[in-house]
Amino acid sequence: MFQPHEAAHAAPKAATEGFNAGETIISHVANSSIDHPLIHLPKILGIDFSVTKHVFMVWLVAALLFLIVTTVVRRYIRAEKEHPVPRGVMNALEALVEFIRDAIVQPNVGNKWVRTWTPLLLTLFLFILAGNLIGLIPAFDVLALLNHTVLHLPEDSFLTRVTHGGTTATGNFNVTAALATVTFLTIIIAGVRAHGFVKHWKNMVPTGLPWPIYFLLIPIEIMGMFVRPFALTMRLAANMTGGHIAILAILSFVFIFTELFASAAAGVGVGVVLSLPLAVGISGLEIIVVLVQAYVFTLLTAVFIGMAIHAHH
Amino acid sequence: MEGNAIAFMGAGLGLGLIVIGAGLGIGKLAAGAAEAIGRQPSAAAQITGAVNLPLFLLEGVAILAEVFALLIVLLK
Repeated sequence: MFQPHEAAHAAPKAATEGFNAGETIISHVANSSIDHPLIHLPKILGIDFSVTKHVFMVWLVAALLFLIVTTVVRRYIRAEKEHPVPRGVMNALEALVEFIRDAIVQPNVGNKWVRTWTPLLLTLFLFILAGNLIGLIPAFDVLALLNHTVLHLPEDSFLTRVTHGGTTATGNFNVTAALATVTFLTIIIAGVRAHGFVKHWKNMVPTGLPWPIYFLLIPIEIMGMFVRPFALTMRLAANMTGGHIAILAILSFVFIFTELFASAAAGVGVGVVLSLPLAVGISGLEIIVVLVQAYVFTLLTAVFIGMAIHAHH
Repeated sequence: MEGNAIAFMGAGLGLGLIVIGAGLGIGKLAAGAAEAIGRQPSAAAQITGAVNLPLFLLEGVAILAEVFALLIVLLK
């Protein structure tokens, strides 16, 4: 089911063997199989470190963010004497930083800890936003089209492997689980730093209750501790995957109708009248979803940190 | 085959129920926010801020349910 090779050949296969919409869509949104990674790496301690599609995207996003942010900020600092007012990209970056600090972190975390937790939340926000946005740019699909029509590279070349469908690293549950693990640890560290190790765990349940209630309350609080990062994981990944599935499902109407009426004209007609406008509309909606999901992840992390710091019990 | 059909039906019905629940929740939230802003337009920013968090928590629950519906289909 997760064979990436089938995705690239789905279109020519449609004419001969029949078009399987479900399989094509899944292979587009799923990670490339570990048996056919982009770059083969040796196993360390029994864990396969081979670079798959989503791993590649994660590193690409991280490298791009690091390069862009550091160059912009360094250029601003170098010319701060002549141009104290930020211009261009620096302006946008400052607006973003200010928004995160004043609208997300400060109201939730409080004045005392704002400077401690803003950098982490900014990193989370920028990484998730860039990871989400890069999945909307069909650069790799254009490369695949070029490869398919002009270049004809061999099946196992790096470029052919990298171009098997669109890639949103944040649509992978493992990536978002890693991000949520950061949140999970951050909540504990924030609580421990604010109240001390023992007090943090004591804060999780209210004091002064009749003792039988604790048998009910402590398991619930422990469950809640794990449910929060789990919900973060699922929300981000499912939202990112869901949008792509919707777009691909609408676009696959073209092939389904071509097959149904056994004529290319029917498929193209449905494509022009129905699929293309709808797909464009959903892509527009996706841009909003991308921004909102990055905001939500950051906001919820800030809220959870705030809950650990300002325990009301 | 019979079992598969029932699994698909269950997932489909579940998706419908999820949409009903999430739609009702979001509708109530939006209605409440609109009424509150209508009554006191100067507090619009605060009301939006207060509405955001429950909205996202609700969305999280709906998404979780959708993932489980998907799991029914995948692991049937």
